[in-house]
Amino acid sequence: MAEAEEEDAAPPPPPPAGIYAEERGLFQLLQNMLEELLIHKPDDPIEFMINHLKQNNDDAPRICVLGPPASGKTTVKIPNALWANLIQERLSNVDCIKQGWILEGFPENQEQAWMLQSSGIFPRHVVMLYAPDTVLIERSGGKRLDPLTQEVFHTTFDWPSDPLVQQRLVKPEDLSEQEVSKKLLEYHRNFPDIFHIYQKVLKSINADQPSVDVLSKVLAFVQTRHRSAAPFTPRILFLGPPGSGKSLQAALIAQKYDVINLCCGQLLKEAVADNTKLGELIKPYIDSGCPVPDKLVLKLLTARLSALDCLSNGWVLSGFPRDVEQGKQLQKAQINPNRVFFFHLPHESIMERLSQRRTDPVTGERYHITFRPAPTPEIQARLRQNPRDEEENIEKRLNIYNSNVKALEDFYQDAFYVNADQDPYVIFEFIESCIIKPLPYKKH
Amino acid sequence: MAAGEEQSREYLRRHRLPELLQRLGALLLFHRPERPREFLIQVLERVRAGRRAEGEFPFLMDEANVDAMFSLLDVLGQGFIRPAQYREALKTLGLSTEDLELADDVKITRRVFKKGMRKKMLESWSVY
Repeated sequence: MAEAEEEDAAPPPPPPAGIYAEERGLFQLLQNMLEELLIHKPDDPIEFMINHLKQNNDDAPRICVLGPPASGKTTVKIPNALWANLIQERLSNVDCIKQGWILEGFPENQEQAWMLQSSGIFPRHVVMLYAPDTVLIERSGGKRLDPLTQEVFHTTFDWPSDPLVQQRLVKPEDLSEQEVSKKLLEYHRNFPDIFHIYQKVLKSINADQPSVDVLSKVLAFVQTRHRSAAPFTPRILFLGPPGSGKSLQAALIAQKYDVINLCCGQLLKEAVADNTKLGELIKPYIDSGCPVPDKLVLKLLTARLSALDCLSNGWVLSGFPRDVEQGKQLQKAQINPNRVFFFHLPHESIMERLSQRRTDPVTGERYHITFRPAPTPEIQARLRQNPRDEEENIEKRLNIYNSNVKALEDFYQDAFYVNADQDPYVIFEFIESCIIKPLPYKKH
Repeated sequence: MAAGEEQSREYLRRHRLPELLQRLGALLLFHRPERPREFLIQVLERVRAGRRAEGEFPFLMDEANVDAMFSLLDVLGQGFIRPAQYREALKTLGLSTEDLELADDVKITRRVFKKGMRKKMLESWSVY
């Protein structure tokens, strides 16, 4: 008892510098500071940096929402310079600095965008809403205004439920269809320039959908972080039911990014084959078909993952941990993955993929009755099925997986979910984008 | 646009910001504080205090470290090291060796070493 207490009391050793830097986002922290320094070029950089760090607003949203003119909002022509000043003043207000800001409908053209930039205002995300002109013209025709509250409704898309409000609604003093078309033309003329200026942080979102869908797409986008130049060593976990394509994706990733591809089962067999000390301990379990005890597996994994090649290139591990207990052990051993993927595949697809696997005992080549049939009847005749892939055994393996997966998904909160029922290259591109980009902003 | 970039580079040069950021990075990686942002604020406040002669600059090495360093260099325990070793030590810490005029046979004692180190470290922070 006393021993265990002592163990818990001692503070864990500090993480190695590389992992510490990655987990705390040091690169981004320093880069943001440098960006601000370059934008404002203060005479006293030290003072400026202290204030910048105290502000702690690196993650505050800075969003521009742009799109075709709703309908003549501003009939008065305000000079661009005045706009820029106004906006800059407002944005330097403490609330904007602390909480971030969303700018709607500005900049409308290249000149305004440049003015924003020279005032040191750079949005981190620019949402460009688009819809076919016909839809826009139709929509502007259905707009209705509540003169009391100034709230805007729409005859088709957003009709108020309160009959009192309904009665009050009037058609806003708007531009005619002709004038809306003119505004649209002007917008289309200016749009490419704006697109060009903000293209690295811009996403076009189709506004011709139900507004909840548009909102969820916009939200998903503004929570993403753009690719950063921060050094990154991938430590990836691929979790999922048997047959979901983990080993294939792991191989693809390992090949493209030069990370070490590790499969738990494979490592165990190699240890036994190499006759290492651990291998000898593991052998009896493999031989009798019993699961290898966690302690041994962890020893093996920890040793492998601490090897130089894994530390410098990164790694992708498939098929471990199988339950939360193993996950916790991994954590205790100071092995912390920075990308976790759960592969999702419907039951029928799993059965189809696994139950039809066959192997040619002569060449060792693997086939699949539906997806990769043997080329000649001669080979077909001698194909054998691995007992693991018999339906009964598949069900058993699946049951074990399913009983543990929910707890695992709760354990790995920041995991990504992969629809494994797609073309492998589509899946690969998705996984790749999750690995290359920094993790999205956490929800608070 | 090119003029803007040149301006920015000049600004960085003038205030020696790349070196400063490098030191901040080094301090962060060495100390690995629980709260990096607060740590950086403290470091910068110490730079500010040092500037106003109100406190010590955030040296990466304190007196005990410099002592230990000398002991490492003085392998035979003779009580002194050679100028070449002294120069190397300064270079390792990123300190300048420009105005070091020492004949090759001069003996650098522990006291001289520590004083010299401290002077150089102070100099390197004084630009801020």
